[in-house]
Amino acid sequence: MDSYDILLYLAFASITYMTPVLLASLGEIIAERSGVVNIGVEGILLASAFTATLVAIVTGNPLLGFASGALVGLLAGLIHGVLAVYLRADQIIAGLAFNMIAYGLTVMGLVSIWKHHGASPRIGVSLEEIDVAGYHVNPVSLASIALAILAWYTLTKTRVGLALRACGEDPRAAEAMGVDVNRYRVAATSIGGLLAGIGGAFLALEVVGQFTRGISAGRGFIALANVAFSGWNPLLAVPGAYIFGFLEALSVYLQQWALGYEYIARTLPYIGTLLVVTVFAWKAIAPRSLAKPYVKE
Amino acid sequence: MRLGSLENLRSQLVEVTLALVVGFVGGALALTAFGYNALENIQVMISYGFRDLGYLLLKSAPIVLTALAFLVPLKAGLFNIGGEGQLYAGAITALFLSKIGFYLAIPAGALAGLLVGVAIGLLRVVRGVNEVVSSIMFNWTLYYLSMFAIQRYLLDPVYTHQSIRVDRVLSLPEVVTIMLLSPLVVYLLLYNTELGYRIRVAGSSSRVARYAGVNLNIVTIQSMAIGGFLAGLGGAIQVYGVTTVVDTTLSSLYGLGFLGIGVALIARGNPLAVIPAAVLVSGLLIGSHWMELRGRVAPELADVVIGVIILALSAPYAYRVLASRMGWGVGGG
Repeated sequence: MDSYDILLYLAFASITYMTPVLLASLGEIIAERSGVVNIGVEGILLASAFTATLVAIVTGNPLLGFASGALVGLLAGLIHGVLAVYLRADQIIAGLAFNMIAYGLTVMGLVSIWKHHGASPRIGVSLEEIDVAGYHVNPVSLASIALAILAWYTLTKTRVGLALRACGEDPRAAEAMGVDVNRYRVAATSIGGLLAGIGGAFLALEVVGQFTRGISAGRGFIALANVAFSGWNPLLAVPGAYIFGFLEALSVYLQQWALGYEYIARTLPYIGTLLVVTVFAWKAIAPRSLAKPYVKE
Repeated sequence: MRLGSLENLRSQLVEVTLALVVGFVGGALALTAFGYNALENIQVMISYGFRDLGYLLLKSAPIVLTALAFLVPLKAGLFNIGGEGQLYAGAITALFLSKIGFYLAIPAGALAGLLVGVAIGLLRVVRGVNEVVSSIMFNWTLYYLSMFAIQRYLLDPVYTHQSIRVDRVLSLPEVVTIMLLSPLVVYLLLYNTELGYRIRVAGSSSRVARYAGVNLNIVTIQSMAIGGFLAGLGGAIQVYGVTTVVDTTLSSLYGLGFLGIGVALIARGNPLAVIPAAVLVSGLLIGSHWMELRGRVAPELADVVIGVIILALSAPYAYRVLASRMGWGVGGG
């Protein structure tokens, strides 16, 4: 392969690698726009990747794997939403706790079900890829880009989107508009969890091909970085996720060639993300009532 | 002591006790769900975890330090979840300098942690980068860099699954002294110094801080420097006081930073309460390894139990609602 071929290969591989981060970012943008921050996305990726692996291996059907991952994400988002909204939990701390629980549960599951501390067996099934100009692209990757457009449209051009953003900016005004702030926030956080759950399923089924301990490897936090990078705009989350996807594709590629320096190659996505958020810190303004519980008077 | 602080202490004790109960119920549910005998395993975890007092204290020491590393920036309103990476930096730096000498290696480890903390603080102050995100990026970067360093420069020529062994180690009384003194020093720093006052004012609200003439940017960097220093020290202590080597997969370091966060939260942000909280958590950790030997259960059950405890503690409002419904009459807004 000459360098042009390598670049083209990386450019397409990046689309696969970006997908879990994009889905998690879109979910988090929706949740944060309503006023709830969920740093438990890392744990949702883990839990849904685990469930999707288990279901896909047992049923032999990748779609059921995706469905189960989405369901786990939805439930996790719902729990976080209820904790944050009705029980007024500290959202950062609840998210950290959820990440610990998800890590613990998935490793317990690995040992209990497959008697292995590191990884599940190979899943063996995945979705049929689509041919684009001679390169294979995953249908879920394309759908997630379409979803970004849909999320942008819904947030900025529809009444529901306006109401949701009002909950995150000025909940009192939203209430005056006749919006049930708490219900909107729980719904947005649940949808956010659902999308992250699909991302987790994608990670296991389409990227790695099995569940491994700590499979999310910081992608939930990279999604959080991407949310800030995008300025809470779903459309800009696409190039943001693509940058990360490219870094990961490059990292995986370099790991095969830089013998003795594999660990250095592995730092690439994290250093790259750090650089991106540092260089592009354009002081995008977060939703004003982010992470603040709404207390009716 | 301030007026009403005793009442406050009582309600916090009840709160933590309730959270512990919820945590163990959560652990029992997880065990049952995965087909284990819940009672038997939790019994092993608790009864074996707290048997050997010396070992218990030894294991607690690094967690005390990572807990303080989270706690000090928290007082300034910052989430330093980078204790994990700061601890790696401290451990590996101290390991690198083992030939030069023990008295230099441990402070150098603390200094390495400090630098990571300062970097996170600077990124926030200068470029507005959220400290939670940058912390995690540093954690992962340092995780792989540490493995690289061991693999390439510090590998034991005979036992190739681990690093070289450090020559001189800290004795148990030395480790325990550090473990007991650090929270005291942090307590005095927070409540009896000008710097501590400024950290606490910065954490109360940015408006109050501005009225009090506190420069938030400087306090951010100062509190992150202290946090990083403590976690780095924790890493050095882990190497020189507890394990004396680091394995190539970093399993002897992995998780200590995150457990510190749990300990600080269980201690309800009180530096002195970090000591019993750390003993509790490391007891669970030791017990979970016994449980693995006995019942083939993954020791990560400890993460589930600690996670549920923290989750239960994350919503004090829920507890207040419960308390008022049950007519316990414990006060608070």
